[in-house]
Amino acid sequence: MNAPLSSFSKSSLASLILLIGSVSWALLGAGLQVLATLQLLVPSLAYLLPIPWIAYGHLAPLTTFLFTYGWITSGFLGVLLILIPRISGIPFRYGKLLTSAALLWQIAVLIGVAEIIWNGATGLTSLPFSRSVTCLFLASFLVLGTGLTRGLGRSWKSGPLLPRLYLLAALLALPLGLGTAEILLRGGLAPGALQIIAQLVWHSFLHHLWLTPLALVLLFQLLPTLTGRPVGSLSLGLLAWGATIGLGGWIGMSLASEGPVPSWLQSAGVVATILLAVAVWGNGTLLKPLLDGKIEECRRQVALRFLAVSLWSYFVSYAWLAFLAIPGIRQATTFTVVAQATQSLLLFSFYGNALAGAIYALLPASRTVGWPRHPALTIHFWFSTLGIASVASCYGIAGILQGLALNDPGVPMSTIASYLRPFLSVVLLGQIAWWIGQLAFSTLFFATLLKLFESVAPVAIFPLPRDESPSSLNPAHH
Amino acid sequence: MKSTQALVLVFLALLFAWAGQIALGFFQVGKLEPILNEETNYTVPPVPSGLAQTGSRVFAAQGCLECHSLSVRGPTGSADIARGWGPRRTVPRDYLFREPAWIGSSRIGPDLSNIGIRLPDANELMMHIWNPRLKKASSTCPPHPWLFDLKVSGPIIEKEALPVPSKDWKQILPTYQAKALVAYLQSLHSDYSLPEAPLK
Ligand code: HEC
Repeated sequence: MNAPLSSFSKSSLASLILLIGSVSWALLGAGLQVLATLQLLVPSLAYLLPIPWIAYGHLAPLTTFLFTYGWITSGFLGVLLILIPRISGIPFRYGKLLTSAALLWQIAVLIGVAEIIWNGATGLTSLPFSRSVTCLFLASFLVLGTGLTRGLGRSWKSGPLLPRLYLLAALLALPLGLGTAEILLRGGLAPGALQIIAQLVWHSFLHHLWLTPLALVLLFQLLPTLTGRPVGSLSLGLLAWGATIGLGGWIGMSLASEGPVPSWLQSAGVVATILLAVAVWGNGTLLKPLLDGKIEECRRQVALRFLAVSLWSYFVSYAWLAFLAIPGIRQATTFTVVAQATQSLLLFSFYGNALAGAIYALLPASRTVGWPRHPALTIHFWFSTLGIASVASCYGIAGILQGLALNDPGVPMSTIASYLRPFLSVVLLGQIAWWIGQLAFSTLFFATLLKLFESVAPVAIFPLPRDESPSSLNPAHH
Repeated sequence: MKSTQALVLVFLALLFAWAGQIALGFFQVGKLEPILNEETNYTVPPVPSGLAQTGSRVFAAQGCLECHSLSVRGPTGSADIARGWGPRRTVPRDYLFREPAWIGSSRIGPDLSNIGIRLPDANELMMHIWNPRLKKASSTCPPHPWLFDLKVSGPIIEKEALPVPSKDWKQILPTYQAKALVAYLQSLHSDYSLPEAPLK
């Protein structure tokens, strides 16, 4: 904690690049997502404007790519670069290398976007880009991930253990998962139906062993810091951690109801999903008490507010996944828009809010800037929260209806499409709302970076180095 | 917990997830072989042509997978067969020569595992890709006119030209991509018997 400020600033440019990338990709993705949904709602649009790169078939994989690799992953790496040296007390050494790696990540996303726009996606689940983009991601991660290993701590005994354990899992899961998926899927090592299994395993790794653990690093680190309350039982936390890393790689199998995946694997996926929900509940009993009776504080502290919603979404997402894994329901809802409901719960609500909360909490510490007291804060929170809530609930209900109808051979496909329409209209409104929220956030983000507003004092949630001016040492809340 | 212990634990957990699913999956579905049909002396599933293999990439690149699945389930617990999406359920062996192999994720449109049986005619498929509303005015399948070239007709209409009237004396010619896509769609049929999934 008493390293000089200059050693923190080594990673400051890298984290800035990652965060600017993250905010921009989210904004772009949100706009394109609205365009995609509009085409599902009004199929005639594709006839009026037959342009390949804005066709639904291009936009759907493009937005998923932008959100997972651009917005969330880039953002998580950015906030971790701020957080990690501060909690471990070990500064980064090679600032320029980190900066280049951060730039490389953005270049990889950019090339991925260009590929999907010009050539279309590869069709592989969670691997819609070419092998060269995989290599760029892995090269960038080699540097950023190695840098982040200092979050594991100089001495393992000091500081809270759980965030470090989740960080460890995530740092191993991404290169292992992405590397193996690339070799198996494009190296010709997985023949036929094994390709489908490999895609589902990689899908699970990406979400449940990379993004979920990183979001948990943020929750386990920031919630105790912001609320001033410690996490209760370490043994329960360890149990939940073990279950998360042990089961996370398996739960994608429950997505393949029947189909060409061996039935024992599907059953294993179902069991893993349901057990994982129990582990999530365990983490819930650890983290929920931190927020008990803190409603007033959540209202005042924008970071805490977003983290609280993220925590809540964590339970809901995994409970929803467990619900979808129940045999009869799984059979009915495979191949329906419940997948989009899951995506909005996990990506937008759980990961997205953890990221927003972390940016609100950590950017001031990194740039010695403070968020202004501005209505944009409220707009960001309410538009994105209500937006996600309406998207997730409408897709959820619509997907269940769609599944029931698909399973009744008497209902023609065109009738099913007409069932979906009213829900899609609300989804569209929700996505527009989220976009507006994101627009408000980006404005605030860039304005704050450029110090355009008169800001309240920085929220310095971590003890700052001694050479800081005393005024910034007072944690001021909005 | 010691740091090395944690590292080993995480590594084992990840390895277990990979090995458990991929390695065991390999023994179950990775070692499948084609079956010789004694009557025809051909093996099934049929090996798709090179053009069809290319077409599978066009299929993915155009995002057809975002709305169409490639997996027939049932007969119990699913209406896929009753909907006419296939004569039997699809099984791992059906995907033997599909590289990359996909099942898709969404059914905004019908399953296409057996579109080669439902719409075997290349011309009809071509017309559908050009403009699905030519045949069914209410179709919500998007058109893909960018897979075609418009060329001013000379004295002779080329054989490949789509039999549709077009503006400005232009004829509509399928690009290589469109031809590949049609070959791929035609190759999608599981109308052969397998020991694990016999035709009734
Ligand atoms: C936006 C979703 C969507 C996309 C993308 C899409 N389709 Fe469709 N497709 C549909 C729907 C919905 C139908 C259902 C019937 C209709 O309305 O014509 C359909 C019907 C079809 C049919 C006729 C099926 C039958 O059983 O008669 C074929 C063939 C087809 N699509 C091929 C394709 C191909 C090839 C692509 C990619 C180039 C594609 N579709 C992309 C939604 C889509």
